[in-house]
Amino acid sequence: MTPRRRGRQAPPLPVLLVFLTPALLLYSVFVVYPLFSALQYSLFDWAGTARGPFVGIDNFTGLFTTFPLDEQLVRAFGHNVVFFVGTMLIQNTLGLTFAVVLYKRRITRRIFQTLYTLPYLVSPLVVGYLWVLMLRPQFGLLNALFDSVGLESLSQPWLGDPDTALPVVILINAWQWVGFPMLLFGAALAGIPEEYDAAARVDGAGPWRAFRHITLPLLTPAIGTVAVLTFIGSFNLFALAYAVGGSQGAPAGSLDVLGLVFYRTAFEGGVNAIGQSSALAVLMFFFIFGIAVVANRYLRRREAELT
Amino acid sequence: MKTRPMLGIVTAGLGVALLAACAPSTSTSDGGEGGDGTTLTVWSWRTEDVDEYEKIFDAYEADHEGVTVEFKPYVATEYNTILSTGLSAEGGPDVAQLRAYGGIQPLCEAGRLVELEAEDVDVSAIPEDVQQGARCEGDGGLYGVPFASQALVVFYNKAIFEANGLEEPETWDELMEVSRTLQDADVTPYAVTGKDTWVLPMLHDLFTAPRYGGPEFEEAVQAGEKDFTDADYVASIETMDEVTPYFPEDVVGVDYATAQTLFTSEKAAMYPGGSFELAFFQQQNPDLDLGVFAVPPPPGSVVNEAMTPGWVDASWGVNADSPNQEEAMELVTWMATPEFGQMVSDELKQLNPAEGVTAEDPVLQEISDLHNASPTPYLLLQDFRYGEPTGTDLMAAGLQSMLLGDADAGQVSADLQKGIAQWFEPEA
Repeated sequence: MTPRRRGRQAPPLPVLLVFLTPALLLYSVFVVYPLFSALQYSLFDWAGTARGPFVGIDNFTGLFTTFPLDEQLVRAFGHNVVFFVGTMLIQNTLGLTFAVVLYKRRITRRIFQTLYTLPYLVSPLVVGYLWVLMLRPQFGLLNALFDSVGLESLSQPWLGDPDTALPVVILINAWQWVGFPMLLFGAALAGIPEEYDAAARVDGAGPWRAFRHITLPLLTPAIGTVAVLTFIGSFNLFALAYAVGGSQGAPAGSLDVLGLVFYRTAFEGGVNAIGQSSALAVLMFFFIFGIAVVANRYLRRREAELT
Repeated sequence: MKTRPMLGIVTAGLGVALLAACAPSTSTSDGGEGGDGTTLTVWSWRTEDVDEYEKIFDAYEADHEGVTVEFKPYVATEYNTILSTGLSAEGGPDVAQLRAYGGIQPLCEAGRLVELEAEDVDVSAIPEDVQQGARCEGDGGLYGVPFASQALVVFYNKAIFEANGLEEPETWDELMEVSRTLQDADVTPYAVTGKDTWVLPMLHDLFTAPRYGGPEFEEAVQAGEKDFTDADYVASIETMDEVTPYFPEDVVGVDYATAQTLFTSEKAAMYPGGSFELAFFQQQNPDLDLGVFAVPPPPGSVVNEAMTPGWVDASWGVNADSPNQEEAMELVTWMATPEFGQMVSDELKQLNPAEGVTAEDPVLQEISDLHNASPTPYLLLQDFRYGEPTGTDLMAAGLQSMLLGDADAGQVSADLQKGIAQWFEPEA
């Protein structure tokens, strides 16, 4: 018998083309083309949908010199950063904890994995709306619960107070997405040979030390992937913030994020909405893309050092 | 090679599928010429009014043989984008419902609409100041026939007022007394949202327009004699502090729907709002015995009488690229008549500005009477939406900060002035 050969040899070009063309076409039409047209749009002055004269980088400088857009952009960027950090700390730490707790329990694991990933299936808009209903100060479930057990002091307008709104939204988002880091970490944990842990235990390491010095370093690639995906998700945040705070990021702009600023300039903007929103879209893309590329490079290098 | 023919078929199939996907969808307005009549497509953002418009356009079709009017509404929040795309491509509407004042600007500046006065559309039934809502700022041309106006009043629950021995307030002090009595009786005096900020600038004009002087102030600002840091205007914002204690608890957490529910479920006694709320209130709670009043002038007012702010909400315009110009123009001409106006008022329960139109609904008629007795513009919407940032957005953000205690009236007005000064130029 001839040994089974791994299909390393590239398939003939026509076959390759057949398989690649559809994806490439879709990608070009829906990603590459809009990207370049946005870049082009951002360099012109617009009157509604009629293109006006070429204005160079005026639309870009306008973003940072027009009051109150300039202040809103800085504020929104800050909220994206807070959202990213909060999500890393809360959602991903919880995800890791769940993964570690579950991965050795073969029977219950599937049940909990399914339960924790269920909220995925619901649109963030719906999730946001449901939580708004539950947290309403007048007819909301949570405050009614607090009141009924004598904890009136705890009941407050969770989403109406600028100090609590963003943290609460970070929690809502974590509630919806905690299953995602959990699954990724679970898969990574399954890839770590059990012997490592056993060897450490033989050497006298307790569970925490074994986790801290053996498991955690070996999870670095997974942590990196989760971090980059969380970063992209945090800076593209829109649906949940919109569902909870509307296009203005209420209360008092405390939920205003870059996605909402873009929405406002594009769909609630004035005569030059296309020019200005395209400029913002271009900036956001290059920022997110740039950071993601740099982070990826760095993580790859760290990964290489590990092996 | 067996795969080759397969490959060809697959590629060809793909190509066809893509071509089909790229072809423009069948256009509604172009396709209308079929048969012996014309189909006019009318776009609107009022998805809730489909049945009523069917009725209205049936009446039109009966008088205009060979013309079919197709009413096609889109979701309100996406309508601006849909319309501007529709007007710049094939398959757009023949006649479109247009936003007013600054809202019409992107469309008329891009040349998407037909100037109506040059086409001799008779708009004599519609008052001059109302027409302003459909004029383009650049050339002053009329691009729409205004057909729906709004006015701001305080709705109140007559049963709650009676149970607490209260009457419509005639003076500011009486208004405060009414508010206090209700609060002491554990009834929320005003159902108000502080979360959905678009409502807030309306509340400011509703409660305090006489304080800064309404139309007089508008004239002075337009002439460049005053701006929003004017002492009377600042004081008018400050006046809001007198009413906000009677808003629902944690008002910044209360959304628009909750505020409406507070009023229709009779947990709140008053609802400061617009004529556009009326149909919804009556539908939600048909037993609600509604009254309306205009807010009496606050102390120190420039104009010493109650005023009712109002504005034009919507108009009808003709697509410059419509293949059915003549028929579209005829329809819009009809939309400028009191006959159409009466139908708008009766069927849609909207205030129609055409002369000779009276409202069937007594509450709607009372709102109309209040506005006609002492009108004042909803200033920031009418005059200060022609640039970015808009006056209403700035005021909305400012008032919300004030509700949270993060800003005072001076700061709100300073920010308003700063934002508007970036694009607004008073008449020299």
